[in-house]
Amino acid sequence: MSVQARAAARTPATQRRGAGGGLGRRRSRRRTKELFWAAVFLLPALIAIVSMRIAPTVSAAVSSLHQGFPGGVLAAEFSGLANYSELFGNDMFRDTVIRTIVFNVIINPLQVAIALIISVLLTRKIVAPNLWRMLVFVPATVPIVGSSIVWGIAFRQDGPINAILAALGGNPQPFLTSPSQAMASIMVVISWIGIGYWMLFLVSGLQSIPDEYLEAAKLDRAGTIRTFFSITIPLLKRPLLFVLVADTVANFVLFVPIQMLTNGGPQNSTTMQMFNAYRTTYTYSSKNLGAAEVMILTVIMLAFVALQFRLLREDRPTRRKR
Amino acid sequence: MTMRHLRPAAALIGVAALALTAACSGSESSGGSAEGGDWSIPDEDPTATVQVLGHQDTEIVQPVIDAFHEAHPDITIAYESVPFDQLNSVLDARIGNQDGNPDVYWADQPRIAALSSRGYTEDLTDQFAELTDAFDSAPLESSSFEDRLWSLPIANSTQLLYYNVDLLEQTGAELPSANPEERMTWEELHDRAQEAVDGGAENGFMFGQMHRYYQLEPLPVSMGGSAGGTGEGNLTPDITSDAWVDSMAFYQSLFTDGLHPTGVTPEQSSDEFLTGSTAYMVQGNWLVPSLAEADFEWGVAAHPSFDGGDPVTPTGSWSLAMSPFSDDKEAAAVFMRWMAIDDGGGYALFLEAPELPATPEGKEAYFARDIFSSDAGQDAAAIIDYETANTGVPRLQTVGYVEFEEILGRAFSDIANGADPATALASATDELTTAWAKYQ
Repeated sequence: MSVQARAAARTPATQRRGAGGGLGRRRSRRRTKELFWAAVFLLPALIAIVSMRIAPTVSAAVSSLHQGFPGGVLAAEFSGLANYSELFGNDMFRDTVIRTIVFNVIINPLQVAIALIISVLLTRKIVAPNLWRMLVFVPATVPIVGSSIVWGIAFRQDGPINAILAALGGNPQPFLTSPSQAMASIMVVISWIGIGYWMLFLVSGLQSIPDEYLEAAKLDRAGTIRTFFSITIPLLKRPLLFVLVADTVANFVLFVPIQMLTNGGPQNSTTMQMFNAYRTTYTYSSKNLGAAEVMILTVIMLAFVALQFRLLREDRPTRRKR
Repeated sequence: MTMRHLRPAAALIGVAALALTAACSGSESSGGSAEGGDWSIPDEDPTATVQVLGHQDTEIVQPVIDAFHEAHPDITIAYESVPFDQLNSVLDARIGNQDGNPDVYWADQPRIAALSSRGYTEDLTDQFAELTDAFDSAPLESSSFEDRLWSLPIANSTQLLYYNVDLLEQTGAELPSANPEERMTWEELHDRAQEAVDGGAENGFMFGQMHRYYQLEPLPVSMGGSAGGTGEGNLTPDITSDAWVDSMAFYQSLFTDGLHPTGVTPEQSSDEFLTGSTAYMVQGNWLVPSLAEADFEWGVAAHPSFDGGDPVTPTGSWSLAMSPFSDDKEAAAVFMRWMAIDDGGGYALFLEAPELPATPEGKEAYFARDIFSSDAGQDAAAIIDYETANTGVPRLQTVGYVEFEEILGRAFSDIANGADPATALASATDELTTAWAKYQ
């Protein structure tokens, strides 16, 4: 409590009213001034959010309710939900939606689990932990275009991976040119890039767990696995939730490796919703239909993220009794 | 979940949603037509900068631009190169946003119908009415749509069968005849490619533009199939006939029999042949200049056809189109006229490795180049002249060409990778039907 406030508290109420009015005005002026400067400093960020996030979102939503001749310079007409009914009446689009969901159901827990395992290993007493962490993180520092090119070469029929397979006595694999292997190959590429990145957040989360909890578990004779599931995981929920949500968003909007490595093929086996929306919008010039595809993708992704929040919510803290 | 937890949760969901929609919303077209038509080709050059978008590397086009600057010092050309596969997407984004950049762009001739229907090209009919006699009729037709001129052709093309004489002699194979009347059949070529591979060649045969409709259209058409579409506006897919399925089965056999390399892109194919690894390659007339530097002896024959089928070759090439939203249409028109028409076309005259010109005057200069002076070069010149006059078939003329080329390209790729040709073509038909529904 400030000196003035303490003095005001000692002053009788009748006197305080008059003096408090002056104080209140000063406070109000100060508060207005603070708000003004807060607004000034926040303005660039607000302009950026409105112009680069909110406006395009509203634009996409409005665009998805129109139909017109494909192409950017001819007027589109309001058509209500016609684009949505057209999309859901199309087998190929439904397949793309299912493929995107299946892909995310597999890849997100898998990537987070691998990142978690590596994080746990790298927070144990090992030689040169920073070196290992750096090695795992390095792929995340390479631009995704560069990584895709390198993996494109690695996966070629006459590429190094097949050369190793052949040297070990195995058969060369088609990888990116086989409908049954292309999706798995894309998963390898994005995991190679992503796992090191997500690992950093989890390592930091693991290091923030107080040693007392682990020591207490040890005193209680809890084993490694029991400690991991009863101490580490509950105390790691927040970073885990962040990593899972951010990873999910990244994988739902996956685009570059697909465009560079498979172009959605072979036989559409790697055509995901984001790539499909791009193709509809920019290759086929159907901007309105593309916007509807993006809106559907947004809704599906939000459902996923909401589910993840629900599954990983922290238990309501019980109020301690005095 | 407490409020304390709800807030970051809601924020994250919001950020995720916004990031996603912003990433792919693009800009909504406001519609309306471009301003245009009210301009003319000036007698005196204005001072202006013309922004040009093309698929050629800058260093390849630079000698042409330098020559233009010398002839028209007041007009500056700002050339920007975009990879072939991305050119249409970039154009779509920029012109769709009614952007004044580029003023002029490389337009693939079969896309003229689609580009003009979408309002992406300026109508040049009135301004160039008295200048179109300069062109050969085929490329001029390919640059027009519904009796209006939407672009100026700067090149034409055809395909030839090149072969590596050293490799063939190594295997004791007979050299193909350069006479178009004695062109090889595809069946015969398959056998010869097999012999070459058995004799030690790394690749028996290679298409210069594998998986692309331009290169593969002659296969079904040679067997009696259509160009790929029928009906009003050519908007009914016609790619499941016997001619299409059988010709694609042949295409697949080149890959499954190990005669055709799989990891080579169209951008890399010429270099692959120039390494001396490949016995036969069907590639465009543009390979001739590069062959002057080959360290093996090369020969050339006419494009193959199927046994009992018609001799058919790809044709058409690039045009220059003007954006209806250009800020400098008069200067852009001066540049386009110089590139396509003046003295036979500056593009063909000054390009170091020239493309086949779209004007008779340009063609005379083209065939007089040193690159055609060798015996094999003379054969190439004769075949190019014959094929462009007799066997060239235009690509499918349809407003839905963009989707057609894209979907068919994926189907070709799938077939080469082992998909059943009939199934892949049926699936492509479904995709095309859906994609073309908006034009019906």
